[in-house]
Amino acid sequence: MATQTQTQVPAAGEGRPTNHKWGMVIDLDRCTGCQACVIACQSENNLPINDQERFYQRRANQWIRVERYWEGEFPNVKARFIPVMCQHCDNAPCESVCPVYATYHNQDGLNVQVYNRCVGTRYCANNCPYHARHFNYGEPVWPEDLRNQLNPDVTVRSRGVMEKCSMCVQRIRRATIGRRDPEDGAFDPACVQACPTGAMTFGDLNKSDSNVSKKAHDERRFRVLEGLGTNPSVIYLKQVDTHA
Amino acid sequence: MHNGEHGHSAGEYALEGLATHADVAKDVLSRYQEVTPRYRAWLMALGVLFILGIVGFILRLMDGFEDGSNWGYFVATLSFILSTFMAMPIISAGLRLTKANWRRPFTRVVENMAITGVLMTLMVPVALAALPPLEGRLNIWFDFPLGAPGVWDFIAYGTLALTGLALLWTLALPDLAAARDHLPASSARLGIVRWLAAGWEGSLRQWRVQRQAALVLGAVYLLTYPLVQTLMVADFHLGLLPGSKDAIFPATQVVYALQSGIGLTMMTMFAMRRMGGYTQYFTVEQFWALAKPMLALAMLWFYFWWASFISFWYGREPRDVATLQYLFLGPWMIPFFTSFILNFLGPLIALIWNPVRRSIWGPTIVGTSIVLGALINQTRLMVSAFAVPDHSQHVLNPIPPAQWPGVPDLLIVVGGISGCVLLFMLVSKIIPPVSIFEVAEGLRLVKVRRFLGRTVRVIAKSH
Amino acid sequence: MYYRRTLTEAQINRELLGTVLSTPLWWVVLTGLLGIVVAGMLSAIGFMFNQGLKVTGLGEPVFWGFFITNFIFWVGISHAGVMISAILRLSQAEWRRPMVRAAETMTVFSLMCSLLMPLIHAGRPWRIFYWVFPYDWARGIWPDVRSPLVWDPTAIITYLTSSSLFVYTALIPDLAVIRDRSTGWRRTVYGILALGWHGNPRQWKLQGLAGILLSALILPVFVSVHSIVSWDFSVSLVPAWHVTVFAPYFVIGAVHSGVSAVVTLMIIMRKLYKLENYIWEEHIDAVARLLIVVANTWLFFFWLDLVWALWLKEEQEMAVWQLRMFEAPWSWLFFLFFTLGYAIPVPLWMFRKVRRSFTWMLWTSLIVNFGMFLERLLIIVPSLAKRGPWVFDWASYRPSPVEITVIGGSVALVSFLLLLFSKFFPLIPLWEEKEGQLFIDEIKVGARVVPAIVKEH
Repeated sequence: MATQTQTQVPAAGEGRPTNHKWGMVIDLDRCTGCQACVIACQSENNLPINDQERFYQRRANQWIRVERYWEGEFPNVKARFIPVMCQHCDNAPCESVCPVYATYHNQDGLNVQVYNRCVGTRYCANNCPYHARHFNYGEPVWPEDLRNQLNPDVTVRSRGVMEKCSMCVQRIRRATIGRRDPEDGAFDPACVQACPTGAMTFGDLNKSDSNVSKKAHDERRFRVLEGLGTNPSVIYLKQVDTHA
Repeated sequence: MHNGEHGHSAGEYALEGLATHADVAKDVLSRYQEVTPRYRAWLMALGVLFILGIVGFILRLMDGFEDGSNWGYFVATLSFILSTFMAMPIISAGLRLTKANWRRPFTRVVENMAITGVLMTLMVPVALAALPPLEGRLNIWFDFPLGAPGVWDFIAYGTLALTGLALLWTLALPDLAAARDHLPASSARLGIVRWLAAGWEGSLRQWRVQRQAALVLGAVYLLTYPLVQTLMVADFHLGLLPGSKDAIFPATQVVYALQSGIGLTMMTMFAMRRMGGYTQYFTVEQFWALAKPMLALAMLWFYFWWASFISFWYGREPRDVATLQYLFLGPWMIPFFTSFILNFLGPLIALIWNPVRRSIWGPTIVGTSIVLGALINQTRLMVSAFAVPDHSQHVLNPIPPAQWPGVPDLLIVVGGISGCVLLFMLVSKIIPPVSIFEVAEGLRLVKVRRFLGRTVRVIAKSH
Repeated sequence: MYYRRTLTEAQINRELLGTVLSTPLWWVVLTGLLGIVVAGMLSAIGFMFNQGLKVTGLGEPVFWGFFITNFIFWVGISHAGVMISAILRLSQAEWRRPMVRAAETMTVFSLMCSLLMPLIHAGRPWRIFYWVFPYDWARGIWPDVRSPLVWDPTAIITYLTSSSLFVYTALIPDLAVIRDRSTGWRRTVYGILALGWHGNPRQWKLQGLAGILLSALILPVFVSVHSIVSWDFSVSLVPAWHVTVFAPYFVIGAVHSGVSAVVTLMIIMRKLYKLENYIWEEHIDAVARLLIVVANTWLFFFWLDLVWALWLKEEQEMAVWQLRMFEAPWSWLFFLFFTLGYAIPVPLWMFRKVRRSFTWMLWTSLIVNFGMFLERLLIIVPSLAKRGPWVFDWASYRPSPVEITVIGGSVALVSFLLLLFSKFFPLIPLWEEKEGQLFIDEIKVGARVVPAIVKEH
């Protein structure tokens, strides 16, 4: 990688094996569907404003979205919520279909997107069973007064590239700068930080004593569309509601 | 395309002095009439093997049908018969539709193989009895069984066998009549031949009806065959492998079948040259012409297999991975790669050379390798499916070990194949094994002329 | 009935070189009109480059739409050239002669057109060469060979190269004829292109050998191209795309639409260029018989695809077929696709009268291609737009005017290129026709005289 530009933040895992495997546990029994995570992600990651028109065009760009579904039969129907973002699959279907390595697996167990490589074939998005990938159909625009709120740590993506949840890789880079090994809970992605009910937990799944590892072994655990064999890094917890 | 240097010399097409229908009939029928000691010896040997096969079958029958895995080799034999012997009439029907003149000498050989449909139809009920019930496993009948699979399978196989026999009989009529007129009154066969010839006298109307019937029956056979193969693999292979979703496989099986059908045609033509003395009819031209589709089918063998392999390999769903692991890379790896070499790699390497194609030995050896590979391949497909203990799983887990044949299994396989050859040999003494009228017709349609300083063939367009 | 139509060499030269050596008015008008449509398409593409893909109807979850459909459609059309030329040449079918050149040329132009589609469909087309050319000049990294999108350009560029060579090899003797009949700078250009062809036995032998070799080598390429296109779908995880039967199903579908397109082209050519002496009822009849076989094989694969889609009774797979077959507007398109692509034309082709009528064959072959375009659309869009597990993602797709313009323009583009080609090169190979004339013979069978063909071997 001789062409790598010199930056103050060294590329994670460059030339060394790392012991991290970043992952997340989302406790659906705590999720109220308040959408705070969505807004936090929106402002942290320089996502354009999803106005009504963009929703009508089906081009709303949400790295994390809260899916609503119903449980039970009438009249005993309950609304349930599940926040869905990129699942950072270990066996990611999106990676092997990209002709230009614009999405690949890094040493920290993250599925990362390299915007500069992306040519916009959109094959990865078709092949993602979680529908977690979003395409910039047009140049992103912000209202004039919001220009200055863009996060300087995050690239503003141009039109024609694919993007998706990065698990706030900028925060991970900052925390692991100089090969530091951050303490468990020392930093969180924006969505986790914003969750008012503490439904989301982020951390290193490779450390057995980390909060996220402990929760990952909860008996309520499941992973979405597990039958596809994608092996996601995002684990959901949900009590099976026998009364619903 | 073909270099003039290797061309036939003038007059060669007249089959060494045989120019008319009467000549051909005399030559074929004299060979047909005599029953040599060698022929009897072969019949005896095959009969013994066939009886041994029945013994093996009875041994298996005593174990009962509770454990389906006992019957894997029986079903493999059935599948081999369906996809080798029963595939052969397709060759004649297809070549007749495309009006290939070189087909003429061997059409009867491949049509005579339709007689094995009798044995096949007898085996189907047993195979169906060994099938586990439809509930809880994959099947092509979905929620509307209506007597499936038994009734429908039996109807399908029966239709195929009957169509094959009808095709055989229709096309044999003129030759049966010729045999009727040729055989001496003392011949034991005369009665049955006369009965089968059904008063054929070769009137224009009879010819017209016969021609139409042959085309229609050939087309019906062509259309029925893929459907029967679809049922075969859906019920006996794909339906028993948990999580296997391989939409191409029925078509793959048809390709396998056509390939081994051609392979067996090569072997039969060779045997009839050596042992029956029909050297004039099965010439290099037949071997050479048939070697081209054989080469194409060897490549298609790979193509159809590869199409499903690559989808599984890159799909990487757990059920895909399990199927790959079971059928290709795990317990059945050795049979798979053996058949890969015998059916694809070997034939490809051998047949791309024109001198190999344009010989008697080359296509025969390749044909033998293909038929052997087909036997191994069908065994792998059917036995592996029957060896799965629990058909109701969604993903094959754990992967069962390979199942090697026991003594009864070997007896069944050998006996089944011997039975087919036996039937073929018997029928060859009732229906002349070379189609006299087709060969004679071919002789009339082809003339040898001088053209631009070379000797060429002028082929009439028949209507 | 086959009867002898003996044409002299001079007559063949005069009739087949008509548009090359003179310029009829209709040619100027037609080319001009098509040129306008092509210009419209190019400006639509320019507009899209300027604005981004937001001017298309694409969104989420339908990321692929008309462009990819059109890509597959034109790759499919391109399969006719090899089907007709290589296979029929290898099997020495006499009736191939008048249609080989037109079919091969259509292959080349439709491949070019199809190659354009994924390029303009990409989000950043100006960076596409990273992906198409497997060299690491720009990025210090090679393309990912696991991706079907790397196989695609590899296969298509190989096919384009080999079919261009194929056309050129067969064109050389005719180029020499034109060279000898033109003057001035044209003579120089044709002279260079004709590579010093004088028609001596050695040259003929080499040319014949090259034709046979290219035919044999191009066949695996021909099968692999559409298979690789199909693997774009079948190696993915998308329900109703992840189907093993796709490779042969796509190839046979491609042959179905491609050969139909050749029929359409032949009939239009016959009318426009007054080729009644060369394109006979018998030729169209023979292609139609071939089409019956192809269409029924296609039906078998289609049926396998349908049955095995339901095989596992998977919810998502069922949802796709539910959408395709029972929900408007897809159900209407599905009905149209099946009636136009199979149910109307194939039974009609069973009648000899239809097979030998230029009018009937023109319309039946045209509707096949409408049907096959819809088939590809129905493979792509409903699989993405199905009612999946993500309820907020239930959305469909409607093509935008830009996309429709590009689709219409692509038809005009291929026709435009074919017309241009016909201005400079004969669309029916002169030497094939002359050779064919030599091989016509007659034979006495019994009391009748039957037309016959000379076969060398």
